[in-house]
Parts: sequence; C-alpha cells; structure tokens
Amino acid sequence: MKKALIEFSIKKPWVVISIAVLITAFFAMQFPKIVIDTDPQNMLESDEPTRLFHAATKEDFSLYDFIAVGVVAEPTAFTADQLNRVYRITEEISDLDGVIVDDIMAISMVDDIKQGSGGSVVIEPLMEYEIETDEEAQQIYTRIMDNPILRGKIASEDGKAIAIFIPIESKKISHRLSEEIRQITDSLGGNADYHIAGLPLAEDSFGAEMFKQMAISAPAAMAIIFLLLFLFFRQIKIVIAPMVVAMMSVIWAMGLLILTGNTVHIMSSMIPIFLIPISVLNSIHIISEFHDHYKKYKHKDATIRHSINELFVPMLFTSMTTVAGFISLALTPIPPVRVFGIFVAFGIIVAWFLSLTINPAIAMLISDKTLRNFGKSDEEHGVLSRVMHSFRNLSQKHYKGIIATSFVIVIVAAIGLNMIIVNDNPVKWFKQSHPIRIADVAMNNHLAGTYMNYLVFEGDDEGAMKSPAVHRYMEKLQAELAQADNVGSTTGITDIVKKIRYELYSADSSKLAIPETQPEIAQMLFLFEMSGGNPDDLFKFVTPEYDKANLWVQLKNGDNMAVSSVVKRGNEYIKNNLPPDGVTIKWAGLPYINIEWQNQMVTGMRNSLASSFIVVFIMMIILFRSIRWGFFSMLPLTITVMAIYAFIGYIGKPYDMPVAVLSSLTLGLSIDFAIHFIQRMRMMHKRTNDFNKTFHAIFEGTGQAISRNVMVIAIGFIPMLFSTLVPYITVGSFFFSIMVVSGLVTMLLLPAITQMFKKSLFKPVK
Amino acid sequence: MKKLLTLTIAALLLTGLSMQTVSAQDAESIMKESHMAYYYAANDGVADVHMSIVSKRGKERVREFAMLRLDIEEGGRQNYFTYFKKPSDVARTTFMVHKSNGSNDLRWIYIPSIDLIKPISADDKNSSFVGSDFTYEDVSGRHWLEDNHTLKGEEKIGDKDVYVIESIPKEEYKGFARKVSYIDKATKLPLKEEYFDKKDNLEREFTAENIEVIDGFTTITVRKMNNVKKGGHTVVTFNKITYNQGLKEDIFTERYLKNPPREYISN
Repeated sequence: MKKALIEFSIKKPWVVISIAVLITAFFAMQFPKIVIDTDPQNMLESDEPTRLFHAATKEDFSLYDFIAVGVVAEPTAFTADQLNRVYRITEEISDLDGVIVDDIMAISMVDDIKQGSGGSVVIEPLMEYEIETDEEAQQIYTRIMDNPILRGKIASEDGKAIAIFIPIESKKISHRLSEEIRQITDSLGGNADYHIAGLPLAEDSFGAEMFKQMAISAPAAMAIIFLLLFLFFRQIKIVIAPMVVAMMSVIWAMGLLILTGNTVHIMSSMIPIFLIPISVLNSIHIISEFHDHYKKYKHKDATIRHSINELFVPMLFTSMTTVAGFISLALTPIPPVRVFGIFVAFGIIVAWFLSLTINPAIAMLISDKTLRNFGKSDEEHGVLSRVMHSFRNLSQKHYKGIIATSFVIVIVAAIGLNMIIVNDNPVKWFKQSHPIRIADVAMNNHLAGTYMNYLVFEGDDEGAMKSPAVHRYMEKLQAELAQADNVGSTTGITDIVKKIRYELYSADSSKLAIPETQPEIAQMLFLFEMSGGNPDDLFKFVTPEYDKANLWVQLKNGDNMAVSSVVKRGNEYIKNNLPPDGVTIKWAGLPYINIEWQNQMVTGMRNSLASSFIVVFIMMIILFRSIRWGFFSMLPLTITVMAIYAFIGYIGKPYDMPVAVLSSLTLGLSIDFAIHFIQRMRMMHKRTNDFNKTFHAIFEGTGQAISRNVMVIAIGFIPMLFSTLVPYITVGSFFFSIMVVSGLVTMLLLPAITQMFKKSLFKPVK
Repeated sequence: MKKLLTLTIAALLLTGLSMQTVSAQDAESIMKESHMAYYYAANDGVADVHMSIVSKRGKERVREFAMLRLDIEEGGRQNYFTYFKKPSDVARTTFMVHKSNGSNDLRWIYIPSIDLIKPISADDKNSSFVGSDFTYEDVSGRHWLEDNHTLKGEEKIGDKDVYVIESIPKEEYKGFARKVSYIDKATKLPLKEEYFDKKDNLEREFTAENIEVIDGFTTITVRKMNNVKKGGHTVVTFNKITYNQGLKEDIFTERYLKNPPREYISN
C-alpha cells in the first residue's frame, strides 16, 4: 500500500496534484456557508442545567445582557454641565438599534423614591430634564447616596464616576453598539473619560477581534515558515510543497467542519493555527532527508523512495500520537472543544496523507537542472551541523549530568504544577492596554461592579416572596455577601420595601427595616405601584406572581476565582442557615456560567490529557516493541509538559481555557521528536551494527531535521506574541516552548540515556 | 353655546362638507365631546371593577376594587374614591383623587396594615395605574386642550361610523408623541386609541371591548389596553354600574379613607 502510493505519486505527479486540488476546491467552496459563534455560553451543552436556569431567570425577570458605560470626571462628575452631557448621551444611546430603552439604568432614566410635598411618597425620575445649576447636580448626588438601590450602582460614592447600564437585545450586537456608543461619547462627552465595559461586550468583541487576528496570524506564520524553509533549503520550488500541504490540510479540515454544519467557535477558529505547524513538521522531515541524501542518490525518485522509506513509520506514529492527543478532546463535556479536537485530528490525518503524496509529486515536477546545486555536500559544515556537534559532545561526555539535571527539573516542575491557579475571565482575554481592560479597571474601581450575578429565590406558592421570613433571610444573606471584597452591591426586593417604608415614615432611619407582616410588605409594594413606580422595575427583582425573587449580586471582579469565592460564600451561608420552608436558592448570571464551564473544562481536560497520555504510551510500546523504549520515549514529552505547566504555575499565569486546550497540543507535539530520534537511531543501528557510528550519525540527519523543525515552528509563531488577544499570545508562547523544550530534551536526554544504557539497548546484531 | 357649536358641526357634516374644510376646531370639539361622554357621564357613578393584568408570558394578576366618582363641575373638577378588595393582602387599602384641570391633582392613599393615610404625588400622570397597562391619565382623562387635534378621516369600526382624530401634545410629553383616536360618531365614545412613541412606533392600543347602555348612559364596560411595546395587556371590566346615586362630596375626604362608605361598597 505504502509503496503503491509513493510510486503513484512519483509516476503520476500531475494526477495526484489535480485530485488534491479538486478536493481542496470542493472544501473551499464550503467556506461561504460559515456560521460564526463567539458566545462562551456555548461552551456548555445547550441542555446544561446551569445554562437552562440562567435562560429561565432572564425570562422570569425580563433581564438582558448589558453594556456598562462609565463616566469618570475630576474633581466631580456632579456638575450641571456633566450631568446634562450624560443626559444627552443617554438620550442618543436610547435611539440606537437593539437597546432596551425602558430598562436603561442611568441617572436620567431611573426613578427615585423620595418624599414629596406634604409628606407624600413620590416615585419619579431622578433627573427628568436637563438641569440648570450645579446645586441641582449636587442634590441628585445626595439623592443617589440616600438610595441603597442606586448607590454605587449608577454613581460612585466619591461622586467622580457615573454609570449607564444599557440592556441590549442580544450579546451579539454588543461590539457594534459599543462602537456606536463610542461615537456618541466622543461627540457629546466633553472633558470626562468614558469607558465601555461589561462581560457581553468582552465576549462579543473577542469574537470580532479573534477573526481579525486569525486573518493576520495564520498568513504571517505561513510567510515566516516559508522564509525559514527557504533559508534552510535554498530552493523555492521544494519549499512550496510544505506550504501547499499545510494550506490544503487547513482547507480540508475547515471545509469539512463547515460542511457538517458546525459553527466556527472561538476554539475552532484556532484550527488553522494548530494545523499549520503540525502539517509542516512532516514535510520538513521529508525535505530534510531529501536534502541530505540528494547528492548521494543524484536521482529524484531514488532519493524520494529512500526518504519515504526511512520516514514512513516515524511519520505515521508522530501523526497518530498527535491525533490521539486531539481526538481525546472528543471526550470532554465541552461541545466546541470536542469539535475542535475532532477536526484538528482530521486535519492531521489529511496532512500526513498529503505529506506522503504532495511532497513527492511536487519534487518530481522540479527539473534535475534546478536541483543541480540542491542538497548537502559532505564538505559543508553549517551552523546547524556545528550546534549538533556540540549537543553530541555534551550528551556523550556529560550524560550523567544530563540525567541528574533532568531529575532535578522533574522535581522542581512537580512543585510548580501544584502552584497552578485555575482562573479565567473573558475580559482578561484582552491585553492590559486594551480599552476593554482599561474600562474594566476604571469602572470597577469606582463603581459597584460591571459583573452581574443573580441569586434566585424560588418559593412553592404565589406570594411566597411577600413573606417577612423570606425578606429577613434575604437581608441576612445580603449582609453575608456584602462582606466579600468582590461584592460591590446587592439589590433585592427587600431593599425596595425598606426604602419605601423609610420614605413613608419621613426618612426615619429606624423604619429602614423589614415590615413585620405580609400585608404590610404587600402594601408597601402596592404603594410603590400607586406612587408612580414602574411595575417593571419591581419585576426585575420579583415575579409578578411573587413566587420567585431575584437578588442582584454585583461584582467588581469577573475572574472565575473571585466569582467562585463569592458563590461559595453564599452557598455555605445557605447550607448553614437554611432558608424559610419551601424556598430554594440558586445562582444564575454570566459570571456564574463562566465558572461552571471552567470547572467542566478543567476536569474534562485533565481526563482527556490522562487518557491520551496512556494511549500514546501504549502506542510507543507497540511501535518500539519494547516497554523500556516506550518508557524512554515518553520522557521528553513528560518533561516538556511538566516544565511548561510548572512554568505557568511559577509565574502565576492562570490556567485558563487556552492553556487547558494547549495541553493536548503539547502532548501531541512533544512526543514527535522522540519518535523520530529513537526509531531512526534503531533503524540506523540495524544497518551499521555499531553504536558509536549510529550515535554520530543521528545528530547529523535526524538531529538537523529536528532542529530545523524547532526553529521553523518556534520562530513562525513569534508574530502571535504581539497579538492584542491574550489567548493568541498564549498559543504563540506554547508553540515556542513546546518546540524548544521538547527539542532540547530529545537531543540531550535521549542521547544521554542511550549512552548510559548502550550495552543493553543496542545489542550487536549477530 | 357648546351645544350650538356641536349642532352646527353636525349640520355641516350632514350637508356633506368635504373633509378638507373640517378645521382643527372641529376635531377639538369632537375630542371634547368624547371626553365628556367617556369621563363625565352623569353626575356621579359607582362600579365594581375587575382588572386583569396579563404579562407578556401570559401570567395573570387580578385587582378588584370599588370605584366611586363625583363630578364637581362638568368637564372640570372631579373626585374619585377607590376601595381595593383584591389581592387579599392589600384589601381595605383605599385611594382618593381630587382631580382639577389646570393644577395638579391631589391623591391620598390609606395603608391599612399600618393604619396610615399618606398623600401621594400626582406629578407623573403617565405612570402606571396600580401596575396595570393603563396610566393614571387613561383612568381620569387627559384634557383636550393639552393636544392639537386633527381630523384625519372617517372609518367604520364594526358597524359603527367613527371619526379618526390625531392628537399631538402641544408640549413634549413622555406619555405619547402621537395618539390616534377612533371616536364613535353616534355616542362620541372612543372605540379605539393608538399611542405612538417618538419614533412613531405603536406603543399601546386601547379598545372598547363591550358597550352597554346603563341608566340611559352609553358606557364602555370592558376596556382593554394592549401593551404592544412591552407585551401583555390589561382588561378592565366594570360591573354593577350605577349612575346618579347622589354621592355627597364629603365622602371624598380623608375621614372616609379609613371608613369607606359601606352603602356604596360591598365586599
């Protein structure tokens, strides 16, 4: 089969290329059908209970995702000029498409509960019209500070910051809206600083910028890889082949993904970036081998046959192990990660197949004349060759030192692994200098927070949420949550009842308390509706049937770790202080959903990494038909994974979604060099039957191929380090570290081990 | 004088005068007549009101109250007294309005659980009435002089001939930017009203669902407000309507808030 395939490629290059081009064209034709989905909520199964409950909560209380606009002015934002600007900005924002005008929370839109003339209770807009004087602005400030429902939320206590919360029809329009809002604040803003923040915006903007980044990173990586290959092999026609293989693999994988009706999610948008290096790796080995032996064979077809023969088994296994790494992602409970794993795996198989066919076919089309000066001459002593010499000397003379150092690294890494902090926050997918990050910091410093979680109280009958027991319990839970640093404010139906009562009794602070009886609570709320209060404002906190209530828990920090600690605090309180009979309490909100999928991600990834580790180990034992060789081959991989993740632990970089997904790539790629090294060392030893000769030769051929690979991939993805999106920087750094670390370990530790055990590992063949 | 004017208009219309020549003045007087027929029928009125507030999701909340009305001057000052029966946890709450055109209305509420009478503000006429899709203004009427009215044409609603009148507030008003009323030519009662917002989107739609003649007064007994913008609607049903009961003005004083007049209010 192998032979037939190679012979066909050599004899009928045009047919092979034509078929490949046709298939590629077919898959490329699927691209216009692309459906993009950037909602992190889809990280959870669509029937995941957390997600369903969140959706039900939004429906029950007519809640929307929102964009938060922050206005920061020194020394105070409470001047007539500034408030009038905010007023006009809010008016303009109200006219934008997709804004839920009635639910906008802004100084000029919210109602205040206060005393009117003659001891009446008035519920009326806080700032109904533009104002004339700074005194009026100060009065508005005082009103906000005197209203627990508004304080901290729409204005900061220091009076320097004002917030406008803009509910929107769908998260998907938040990026577009933020740009329109930016235009409004630019033209009407004056001297104050304007910030636009919020989780939905971060999530949606990430999607928008992600595709831009992809459009830059993938071609940039291709270009750099192409340049490096050209530098190594000096023959443009030869190095076109790996590029063609990489592009075709990407198109086939993405085309099939779209054809099968999958959406392109944040994860799957990274497929090209993952496939390019993996598919280039095989080609580099083939070209290296071709390059090293062309001078010897002098004939293209003979050289090709030799190269493929030499590389077929290691390439099959390096591809199979990488496939194992990615296909294991199909076991995770996260749908986009499953799709990602399956289609990367598919792309790797395609790349393997195309490497074996396209590379020879393209090589056959190059005239012998062009190749006249191609290939290595024996007199040549390039930089690579010198580097490999020093590696050889080092591992020959100091093999004990290398092995000892490896032990130390493993121990140090084991400690670092325990220091890994699991954390994620979509806002932090942007660099610190990104406006979304700056807005996040500025707004959460001044105000009660841009992250909204909900604690939903469910009673077993209508009217349950008017019971004084429920109100008292809610009040205590609020007090408990308020102690958490991350909680900027909590607001519930209780606060409204207390505020009405307080104003009803002429601002008597002793009356800022929960009524004793259910009718009194009901009548306070009735008074709210009678006094001009908008019933829809109530129904953000309680259902019209009063069977469910919603406690808003506003957070300043959206890090999953910080959100988790608040959730835990609340849950613990609920566990230790049982709610009134018939009442259950559950969490909802985007930050809560994020911690939920992170939990699933972490355990899912751990299981998938563990299972693929075992699968790869078994494959190695089969490949080398030796448990010992299998064990040794796993060392570079183990040390690379440990070293990289320990590094993450030591520098305190949070273990987030990209870091989690990259574990399978690390596993799949770091085994490759070991496979090439061991397999080809053994093949060579069979031929030479001389350990020293073999040891010498392995650094020449395989060693140089590996170092070319290291450089091509490591350098090729350096442009990603300059991305504005943190996950891209992470991916770029991983490619770099995987290549460098696994390359070093393979070229130092494996030779050292073979030196140490040469007698038993390489028995002379009789 | 007013009657004369109305008669003149009617006569002019009957003579088949074309639409274009019907001036703004005519539209305004139709609206005034309509206002009188709808809000000032007889000298006083008593009714049991059933209000069903249905949310966007189809959940229903019910309010039941007795309502007393006394006109102090035709088309002018008017007093309302409302005694709530349901929901049961607000039973015995009473609410009183002294409506006076031109100046602000006065409103009081009695909160039985704490035995307290409080004035409540009446600044915002556009706010919801007891959490329904009707506003205070829908309940007690918006003075016809606050809007500019134009007769847009004539139509048929069912088998009734109606005037179609467009009203635009003279001063910017948050309640609506434009209102189209369909006024029954025969009874002058509004059969339909459409409220449009600034962007000219239909926000709310009023329809007269049932009309009866009670004690000689044509009365809309089932009124529906469809909240197009927010979803949901409110249906108000007037039961046991009686007119000209001879209500005394002193019923509409704070004293009666705590002790409602039992002769007019059944439980």
